[in-house]
Amino acid sequence: MNKKLGVYICHCGGNISDYVDVEQVKKAIESEEGVFLAKTTMFACSDSSQKEMVEDIKKNELDGIVVASCSPKLHLLTFRAVAERANINKYNYVHANIREQSSWAHSDDKTGATEKAVFLVKAAISKARYAESLEPIKIKSKKAVAVIGGGVAGMRAAIELSDMGCPVTLIEREPFVGGRVSQFDILFTTYETGKDLVTRLYNNLLARNNISVYTGAEVIENSGSIGDFKLTIKITPRYIMDRCNEGRLQKAIDACPVEVPDPFNFNITNRKAIYHNFPSEYPHKPVIDIENCTRCGECEKICESVDFSQKEEIIDINVGSVLMATGFDPYTPKDGEFGFNQINNVVTLPQFKRILALSNEPLIYNTRAIKHIAYIYCVGSRQVEGENKYCSRYCCTSVIHASIMAKKKFGNIFNYHFNRGIRTYGKQEVLYNESLKSGDVYLQSYEDDPPVVTQQGNKIVVTVNDILTGKKQMAVEADLVVLVTGMVPRADNSVGSLFKLPKGRDNFFNEIHMKLRPVETVIDGITISGACQGPKNILESSNSALSAATKSFSYVSKGELELEPIVAEIDKNQCTWCGACAEACPFDAIKKIKDGDKEIAMVNNSVCKGCGMCLPVCPTDVINLIAYSNREIESMIDALAGS
Amino acid sequence: MPGKIINNSFDALVIGGGIAGGEAALNIANNGFKVLIIEKDLSIGGKMILLSKVFPTLDCSACITTPKVSEISRHPGITIFTGSEVKNIAKIKENSFEAEVVRNPRYVNVDDCTGCQLCEEACPVLVPDQYQYNLVGRKAAFIPHSIASPRAAAIDIENCTLCGACEKVCPAKCIDFTQETETYHLKIKTVVLATGFNLFDPLKIPRYGFGQFKNVITSMQMERQLAPTRPFSTILRPGDGKVPDKIAYVLCTGSRDATIGNPICSQICCMYSIKQAQLLMGALPMADVTIYYINIRSFGKGFEEFYDQAKGMGVNFIKGKIGKISETDKGNLILRYEDINENIVKETEHDMVVLSVGVLPNPENSSFFPNEQLKLDPFNFVYQTDCLASPALTSIHGVFVAGTASGPMDIPDSILSAGAASSEAISYLTQKK
Repeated sequence: MNKKLGVYICHCGGNISDYVDVEQVKKAIESEEGVFLAKTTMFACSDSSQKEMVEDIKKNELDGIVVASCSPKLHLLTFRAVAERANINKYNYVHANIREQSSWAHSDDKTGATEKAVFLVKAAISKARYAESLEPIKIKSKKAVAVIGGGVAGMRAAIELSDMGCPVTLIEREPFVGGRVSQFDILFTTYETGKDLVTRLYNNLLARNNISVYTGAEVIENSGSIGDFKLTIKITPRYIMDRCNEGRLQKAIDACPVEVPDPFNFNITNRKAIYHNFPSEYPHKPVIDIENCTRCGECEKICESVDFSQKEEIIDINVGSVLMATGFDPYTPKDGEFGFNQINNVVTLPQFKRILALSNEPLIYNTRAIKHIAYIYCVGSRQVEGENKYCSRYCCTSVIHASIMAKKKFGNIFNYHFNRGIRTYGKQEVLYNESLKSGDVYLQSYEDDPPVVTQQGNKIVVTVNDILTGKKQMAVEADLVVLVTGMVPRADNSVGSLFKLPKGRDNFFNEIHMKLRPVETVIDGITISGACQGPKNILESSNSALSAATKSFSYVSKGELELEPIVAEIDKNQCTWCGACAEACPFDAIKKIKDGDKEIAMVNNSVCKGCGMCLPVCPTDVINLIAYSNREIESMIDALAGS
Repeated sequence: MPGKIINNSFDALVIGGGIAGGEAALNIANNGFKVLIIEKDLSIGGKMILLSKVFPTLDCSACITTPKVSEISRHPGITIFTGSEVKNIAKIKENSFEAEVVRNPRYVNVDDCTGCQLCEEACPVLVPDQYQYNLVGRKAAFIPHSIASPRAAAIDIENCTLCGACEKVCPAKCIDFTQETETYHLKIKTVVLATGFNLFDPLKIPRYGFGQFKNVITSMQMERQLAPTRPFSTILRPGDGKVPDKIAYVLCTGSRDATIGNPICSQICCMYSIKQAQLLMGALPMADVTIYYINIRSFGKGFEEFYDQAKGMGVNFIKGKIGKISETDKGNLILRYEDINENIVKETEHDMVVLSVGVLPNPENSSFFPNEQLKLDPFNFVYQTDCLASPALTSIHGVFVAGTASGPMDIPDSILSAGAASSEAISYLTQKK
């Protein structure tokens, strides 16, 4: 069939036309086979251009269109919608990217950029000639969402999903919910404590009857995909019965002879092998740390709620979407980094916050009375040498707030801030002003000349060449040095790997597009929220959690989903199952199945991304990629080669 | 109030059709609710549609905004009133508000207008173009800008001489001087405030010479010069049309400055200035670009790397707050500042100065609810009553806040904030069904 095609070449303001002569491109392709009309446009994506395309298609009864503009990542959906509005099948629209692949890439060579754009458009026209009408794959979507991570972001998302009428399973790896915020004491800007905030959210969770909460729980397997994730969850026993006697359990905790460093307090204190982090923590019952428990039986003797016979449980759940809220780890300084682990009384910001929360007047740490505190900023962030180039965003505000709290709680404290430029952005600036007014000293250096921490006899001295005073060398004798450590991605990323979630340059989970699709990932049906996506404060985490909740809900709310029909199809008559395609598939979309008495490869359409990795490895060449058939690709190659 | 009165009802009223309002409206409408967007401007898209490229990805801003805008304007669940104002909103009972909305006449039938611009050519009146931030002029009969939505003409009746030239040339006969103000009485269930921000007016800092020295411009004026829908084909300084080759940025103009009543940081100026500097290095490869700063606040995802990239490209960063700007007889500018690194007071000559103006609250927020108390924060942004767990909640139950109405933020944060507001609105509407 000879198709009638419309071709639209976009100026993209000047993004394309500053380097590519779009009029010349138009002239060069006008007489290509099938081209009925060719036009240039200032912004193909603008409302008026879209209207014009619809009118052109209807008036001239076009069979397909080619749009030559920016990356299809930006506007594929826009122009598919144009095709649909003009009543042609949306797969009869083909895109040519002459911005990223031509004008921007060859801004130094306008003639070459134009020539390349001509070839790219010709290739797209060739593809459009052979494009087939396709219908989306329709699948059922289970109206339920799994939220992974029970910190503020996870709990907040779960509450919102529940309120939208969606059943939620909340899966928390730790024995208690609350995440990192439960380790914080008083919070900026509300002055409620982290514990209060976490308790408030947990009570909200409990008040809703469509949320199931699992603690000590981990997702260990997923065998499904969007609309139908089949998750296997491993639940570690608490060794405490559901109905327990709190008073006697407290006595049992007191009786436990084991003492191990307490990770909740970042190892500055010890805890027992049967423990809770704080009395009002949820769930409202302690847990036995079985790895450190000596099974001496002391707790069992005191409290009948202790039950060592509990076994690990495995449960399976089925959800339509997964919302990730796995949070962050605080950066752990290397031994010797600003004296860490080598000089006494050098602690990290999270440790300092725990010290403030746990201490009563006077402030004493490691038997030393604390009066002068030095804060060294950007430890583990904005690294010159090291992986973490990024700024951790929350730490400037967080440490200034903590230093003000230290003064308020203990009085007679002198704060010295060794910073690299204070970043109390937005309204947080008022905190910096408050700190300055209260007499805190700020000393600044650049990344190439950081402060130095040394032990001189019994003294800890921090020296810096302070740029605010003409690079004078300043020395401060400190009783406590606080390393203002930033956020790093979770060390244990097993759940991210399980879903094959992509990570950005900073190693946090990556969104598809920061502005257009900020909570979606390239794995369909999985959204991300909170600090697992990158450093965020609590407000920002809540905003992203609510956004992710809305997005996850949209995947499941209608009970049905439409998926891209661009998938690999295997000719089952010819396949002889060698496994090469399954091996090559980055998405685990290909499985071996029995077809009568022979074994063949089978593509799961809702997992397949149409990437085409399986095609070249098939020794019998029996795989076809829909919408990228050999005929289409060969015709494109011919066009690119100019033949 | 003259004109006709129309009654109607919607589930959600979104005030403001910028990127936050648009995002919130889309989310709510996609869940099956009826949404009305009230935009006081002639086009939706807010400030974002007028930007050049956006940090830190250097995506073309128009290319991200226009498809959103056309999705919003085509959505069957969304009604848009441009050139309209909310006069007042009264809470009738729980889950029910009554709003009075005034739709000002555009004097053009938008549905019939083809955007041919013949009226523009015919109109004899020339006034400063607010969409180009007064860098060039426009007519009294005009299309707001080339990617406006709706892309239809409007008559600026205050400047129109009623000569009738536009009416004569209009081939679609869509100019209609008999249009009147329409007043709508609307029943609504929930309100989303997405009223955005105002830019700081640098006339308030006379020592920087804005309005007096022609080659001192605002960052928004530079943004327009860099945008695809720019007024000139290259970067020009307004004084004499010369292409500048030594450009200075003055950060924290109207931010972090208690003397002009705004002690807080505007959160976006460091990054947009760094972005503009990078774009200038591309547009004017021989030009020197210097950014004068107090602290560089490149705190977001990919921002620090973007700052490093600018340093690598040769943008000069000088730590020092500009005290005063004076003009030479050639129209160049002398900037006086304390160079913190060298610990001396210096003066440096530039041929163009860009004031990186900050973010101020939109004062209209307090006027919408005459009978309720919409609480504002100490800086006059909308107060967030539960800012850690539910940042979109305001002091009025059923009224949610999205984007910069609650404080300075960049585009990704505005979109997430709009996501939060719409999420709260959807839950609210779902539960009150």
